[in-house]
Amino acid sequence: MIRILIVDDHPAMRAGLTAVLRAEPGFVPLDAATSDKDLWPTLNRTRPDVVVLDYHLPGDDGVVLCRAIKRRLPAPAVLLYSAYADAALTIPARLAGADGVVSKSVPANELYDAIRRVARGERVLPPLSRELLDDAGNRLDADELPILGMTLEGTPLLEIAATLGVEPAQIAHRIDRMIKRLKVEIPAPRAAR
Amino acid sequence: MMLLLMTRLPAAAVAVVLLLVHRVTAHDGVLIVAAIVYTTGSLTVLTALPRLQLSPLAWLVDCAAVLALVAASEDWRSPFYVLMLTALVLPSTGLAFRRALGWGIAFALAYLGVAVYTELDANTLESTIRLETIATHLMVPLVVVVALAYATDVLERLRDERLRSERFAVESERQRIAWELHDSAKQRVHAAHLVLSALQGQVSGAQAQLVGHALGELRAAGADMDTSVAELRTPLEGRPVQRLLEERAAELGPVSEAEITVHGALGELPAHVAAHVYRIGAEALTNAVRHGAARHVDVILARNATSATIEVRDDGRGLATTRRPGSNGLRSMRARADTIGAALSIGPGPDGSGTSVVLSLSTDPEARSSQT
Repeated sequence: MIRILIVDDHPAMRAGLTAVLRAEPGFVPLDAATSDKDLWPTLNRTRPDVVVLDYHLPGDDGVVLCRAIKRRLPAPAVLLYSAYADAALTIPARLAGADGVVSKSVPANELYDAIRRVARGERVLPPLSRELLDDAGNRLDADELPILGMTLEGTPLLEIAATLGVEPAQIAHRIDRMIKRLKVEIPAPRAAR
Repeated sequence: MMLLLMTRLPAAAVAVVLLLVHRVTAHDGVLIVAAIVYTTGSLTVLTALPRLQLSPLAWLVDCAAVLALVAASEDWRSPFYVLMLTALVLPSTGLAFRRALGWGIAFALAYLGVAVYTELDANTLESTIRLETIATHLMVPLVVVVALAYATDVLERLRDERLRSERFAVESERQRIAWELHDSAKQRVHAAHLVLSALQGQVSGAQAQLVGHALGELRAAGADMDTSVAELRTPLEGRPVQRLLEERAAELGPVSEAEITVHGALGELPAHVAAHVYRIGAEALTNAVRHGAARHVDVILARNATSATIEVRDDGRGLATTRRPGSNGLRSMRARADTIGAALSIGPGPDGSGTSVVLSLSTDPEARSSQT
């Protein structure tokens, strides 16, 4: 039985996901959260196995929330569930420790499959490509590149800190900053110029 | 030009009346005829050839003519004085403020020259009243120029400001629609797709086909929304239509065999009109390259005093006789053309091959407002 927490700001999406997951044997959709505001109380109350997390949310985006969720002990598996920019999310999602990235346009059975796999501890991430790495390299400082490389290879934080000879907290802080720099821009309605 | 008509006709009437009631020279009759010929002649020529209204050479000829009339009246306190001032209307409204002022000063000096030529002498300069009169006569052209140039400047700024706020209103409305499409409508489509796709494994036969069809439609709806959102977010930023079409051509170039050339320009259009014209042109261009398998595409832009036309002509396989499934490109082009009150014709090219898309719209604001 996989206990699932849904985080999405749109009611239609929350209702649809809940209904679809409830219909699938072995899944138990728990309460749904709408943004960073009600995520933490819901998370504490429900203690899910998997969090299905929308990327685009009011307030903190899915990648930032994912990183915060994955710092908890014990951390649930996190599946980023996004309507767009799956490829662009690849590197930020990995940096944030997401277990999977799934597009909102896939049919339900692919979503079931991804949830089962992340619940088993597998990764469901889109492959890294040359262009994505080049693009990330261009947007980051030179001294951040080793951290990026090691994180993408799956090196644990403590090991990265030991290799670079700095405090783990400092590495964690750098990763936060890198995530901010690699933020996937959603063209929001522009404020009046 | 309206202003010139409104000032020159009464000024000429004043000159004629003054000449009739008051004997000024020995040849008043000739002067009256000259005034009438000059006034009607200048107004007719300037109305017939609007280009001359902005030509400094024409202004110069006009100014020289009025100064000649003043000189012919043999007195700088001439019955033609007011008529003379009307020669300043076009330069003051056509030039930037400083240049207009320069023109006014030059004109006042030329008038001083005429005054000296007629009878301005040491006697005049000794008498306070006469000195004051000549000073006033010299200052009036400057006052006229400053007032007109200032008013023109203010009007122009108001017009720019209006254009800018119009553009801003269009832009923010587009952003809002894009946001709503993406944030709400598309989320609902995703949810519907997800819920329906959960049925896929549970039904069979004809029902499975129906579900599959519905899922396909939902995916197409999502893709349509993506296109619309991307389109809505491409800011036009008031750039000219031909630049935007050239950019679009450059985008399409590498992914197709077609050689795309953009000729001519449309000049300035109101922001929302330019946006629709560009979208129609871009859609026609995309169709020619994607579906028409064209080798050469010519985009011809033309503008005259009252209308603008844009033609997209290709040598491709022509219009499809059956409607492509899921295509609403042509429909949206027609809807856009209706929105801006333009005529859109889509048909085979002039020699019967390929496709020619012609959009023509009136740029005369009065004609347009009566259409809509």
